[in-house]
Amino acid sequence: MRNRVVITGVGVVSSLGDTPGCLQFSLCAGRRAVKPVELFSTAGLGCPLGGEIPSFDAQKYLGRRNLRPLDRTSRLVASAAQLALDDSGWSESMRKDEEVGLVLGTMFCSVHTISEFDRRALEAGPRYASPMDFSNTVINAAAGQTAILHNLRGINSTISTGITSGLQAIAYATEVIRSGRARAVLAGGADEMCFESFYGFDRAGMLCRSNESAGDFPIPFDKRRNGFALGEGAALLMLEDAHFARDRGARTLAEITGHGCGYDCSQGEDEESSVNAIALSVRHALNDAFTEPHEIDCLSASANGSYAGDRHEAKGIFAGLNGQTRKLPVTAIKSMLGETLGASGPLQAIALLETMRDGVLPGINGLEQVDDDFAFDMISPDNTQLDLEAALINSVGFDGHCCSLVMAKV
Amino acid sequence: MKQLRVVVTGIGVVTPIGTGRERFWTNLLEGRSGIGPVRSFDTSTYSVHRGAEVHDFEVENYLSNLDAAHLGRASQFAIAAARLALADANVEIASLDLERAGVSMGTTSGEPREVERFDDLFVSKKLERVGPEFLALYPSHVIAAHIARELRFAGINIMIPTACAAGNYAIAHAFDVLRAGRADLMLAGGSDSFSRITYTGFAQLGAIAPEVCQPFDRYRKGMIPGEGAGVIVLEPLSAARHRGARIYAEISGYGLSCDAHHMTAAQPTGDGAMRAMKQALEQSGTNPEDVNYISAHGTGTATNDRLETLAVKKLFGEAAYRIPMSSIKSMLGHTMGAASAIEAAACSLAVYHGRIPPTINLVEPDPECDLDYVPNYAREQTVRVAMNNAYAFGGNNASLILKKYDSLN
Repeated sequence: MRNRVVITGVGVVSSLGDTPGCLQFSLCAGRRAVKPVELFSTAGLGCPLGGEIPSFDAQKYLGRRNLRPLDRTSRLVASAAQLALDDSGWSESMRKDEEVGLVLGTMFCSVHTISEFDRRALEAGPRYASPMDFSNTVINAAAGQTAILHNLRGINSTISTGITSGLQAIAYATEVIRSGRARAVLAGGADEMCFESFYGFDRAGMLCRSNESAGDFPIPFDKRRNGFALGEGAALLMLEDAHFARDRGARTLAEITGHGCGYDCSQGEDEESSVNAIALSVRHALNDAFTEPHEIDCLSASANGSYAGDRHEAKGIFAGLNGQTRKLPVTAIKSMLGETLGASGPLQAIALLETMRDGVLPGINGLEQVDDDFAFDMISPDNTQLDLEAALINSVGFDGHCCSLVMAKV
Repeated sequence: MKQLRVVVTGIGVVTPIGTGRERFWTNLLEGRSGIGPVRSFDTSTYSVHRGAEVHDFEVENYLSNLDAAHLGRASQFAIAAARLALADANVEIASLDLERAGVSMGTTSGEPREVERFDDLFVSKKLERVGPEFLALYPSHVIAAHIARELRFAGINIMIPTACAAGNYAIAHAFDVLRAGRADLMLAGGSDSFSRITYTGFAQLGAIAPEVCQPFDRYRKGMIPGEGAGVIVLEPLSAARHRGARIYAEISGYGLSCDAHHMTAAQPTGDGAMRAMKQALEQSGTNPEDVNYISAHGTGTATNDRLETLAVKKLFGEAAYRIPMSSIKSMLGHTMGAASAIEAAACSLAVYHGRIPPTINLVEPDPECDLDYVPNYAREQTVRVAMNNAYAFGGNNASLILKKYDSLN
C-alpha cells in the first residue's frame, strides 16, 4: 500500500501573475509575457525576447525579512514558498512541530551568481570574492536559503534535469510521501532570467528568431515555429499525504495519481528514439496512475516552439496514449510564458488546477497552422470548455529528459 | 509488507589516490595521500596552494560512443567511474533491458570549468568566442545525461545537485527507484571536477588547510578541495543472486534532513545531522549499538569535526566511543559532490573485506574530538553495519546505512 498524495496549496511567481487566478486569467485572455528583455542588454544576440517578471520585488511576499543573502532565484523560490505555505495553511507555528520538506527543480539555480562570483575574483583578485556570494554558487542554494527563511527542516533536495526539473521534483516528492518518509513537502521548480543562461541558449541557436508571418514570439505546434523564448518564474505545490491532510482539515485541490519518466539517449537527434522516450514516459505515468488513455481529459504539453522538440512531443504523446489524441484538448502555455525551465512543469500543473476549478483550458496563443501530421484535432488559439477529472502534464527537455505527471480531481 | 532488498554489486572510482577499485582500496588502506600542489590553475594570487587533483586519468580508455572533446571534466570522470563500476559488477550492457537501466548522480558544481571558460572570455571581452558548446557542456544535468548517452541507458536519468552531500542523495534515490520497481539496475554516485570557483570560495571562507588535511586533530587547519567521481552499481538482491554477482554490501536505509539554519555553517547543536542519522537507523531497522563503522563527513575544518563528533555522541551515547569513525578525506581531500559516493564505495569495501580505512595525519587528538577515529593505520575488523555521513551547504544532511550481506538471512 502506498500513501495517496494530494495538493493542498500552491505558490506562483510568474511573468503573468503571482496568484493562480491571475495566471489563469492572463493565459485565457491570451496575454503574452514574452517581450523585449529589459533585465540586461541583448545587443548582438539573435533573439531579443524573453518572458521576464516585471519589477519583481520579493519584499512584497516576504516583508521585512533580511533578503540580502538571497539572489534572484532564491528570492523567487522563497516568495513562491511563502505563497504556497499561506495557501495551504502551514503557519509558522505548525512548522515548528512538523518537519516540512522542500524538493526544488532547477536547471541552473543561478548561473549569474556563479559567473559573477568568478568574474569578481578574476578582475579584482580572489581575495575580493564574496564569501556570502560563494554560498549561493551551489546549485542547491535556493532550496537551502528557502529552508532557512521558512524553517523547512524536513527532506530538502534539489533536482536538475533541464526543462523537466520541476516536474521531476514533483515526482520525487510524490515518492517521498508515498513511501511514508514525509507527510508534507513543498515541490516544484524555478529558474531566473539572466544574461548568462540567455546567452548560452542564444548561442545554441535554440531561441526564436523573428518570423515575418508569425511575428516575434514562439508558437508551439505551429508550422511556423522556429525556437522558444526564455522565461522565468517559480512555482511550488504543497504536497501532502492524503490522510494527514484530511486529519488536519486541509482543503485539497487535486491528487497526484501518477508519474513517469523516460530518457532519450540521442538527445533529440534521432526522431524515433526521442518519440519512444516520450511515449515511455507517458505510459509509465498512466500505469502508475492506474489510468487508461481515454480517461485523460486534457494535455498540458511541454511544447515551446522548438522545431524538432514540439514534433517529437506530438508524436510521443500520440504513441504514449495509443493513438487516442484526436479528441484530446491540448494546451501549451509556453506560447505565453516562454520556456521557464525548472518552473515550467509546476506552472503547467498550477494552470491546470485552475482549469479543474473553472472548466476553461487556455488556447495556444498565435496558433494558426498545426503541422499536418500532428494527430491533434482539439488544439486551437481559443480557449476550450471542459470538465476536467484527470489531466496529463508533460515535460520534455533538449538533453533527452522526459517526465509526465497525471493529476486528478480528488 | 516485505521490502525489496537492494545491494551494491559494482564499484567504480576516479580519485586523487587512484582510479579503479583495487588501486583505490589498496592506497586507502595504506594511508596514501592524494594531496599536492594545485596544477589546474595558477594559485599565486591565493594564500593557499594545495589541492587533491586526479592526475592519472585517461578518459579515452572509457569512451566507446562519445567524443572526449565534447565532455566536461566531471562528465569524463563520471563516465569512467560508471564504466569501471559496470565492469567490476561483471554486467554486460547487452544483457540489460536498457529502458530499465537508470542513472542517478550528484554533484556540487556540475561542470564549473565551462562557466569558468565563459568568464575568462567575458572579462577579456571575447565573449563572441562562446559558442553552442557552453549550453551543451555546462548545465549540471549533463553529467547523468552523458553517462546514459555513452552507455545507451534509457531508464530513469536524474541529477541531484545537493552539494557536498549529493553522492549520498543520489544513491538514496536510486535505492528508492529500485525498491519501487522502477528499474532493474541503477548506476548511482557523484562527480565533481577541480574548480577555480570552489577553490576561491573555500579560500575566502578561510576553510582551506595550507598543507595537509587532518580531520579531528587538535591542530587541524581546514579542508583540502579535491575532485573525482564515485559510481556504484545497485540491483535488487534477487537479480544479483540470480546472476551470481559478487555482493559487496546491502543498502538498507537512509535519512535526509535540513538544518534550516545557515547556508555554510552547521547547526551548533548538531540537530540536523542527528535527525538524518536517526532516520537512517530507523528505516534500516538498526539499533545504534549495532553500527560497527561510521564514515565521517570529516572535512578537517574546526567546526565540522567538532559538531559531527557532538552529533554522533548525542545519538549513540556511550556506544559512540566503541564505534570506529574515520575520515578518508584525510587522504582524498574533499571531492565535493563525489565525496559521499566515494565514501559509500569505501563503506561497501569495508563491509566486504572487514577492514577499516584510517584517518591519516591525526597526530594530537582534540579534547573535543574524543572518539575512535582509526588514527593513521587501517584496522582489521568485521563491519556488519556501516553508516556513511555527508553534510552540505544549504544545511542538507544525508546518512546512508550499508550492511554486510549475509546469504543466510
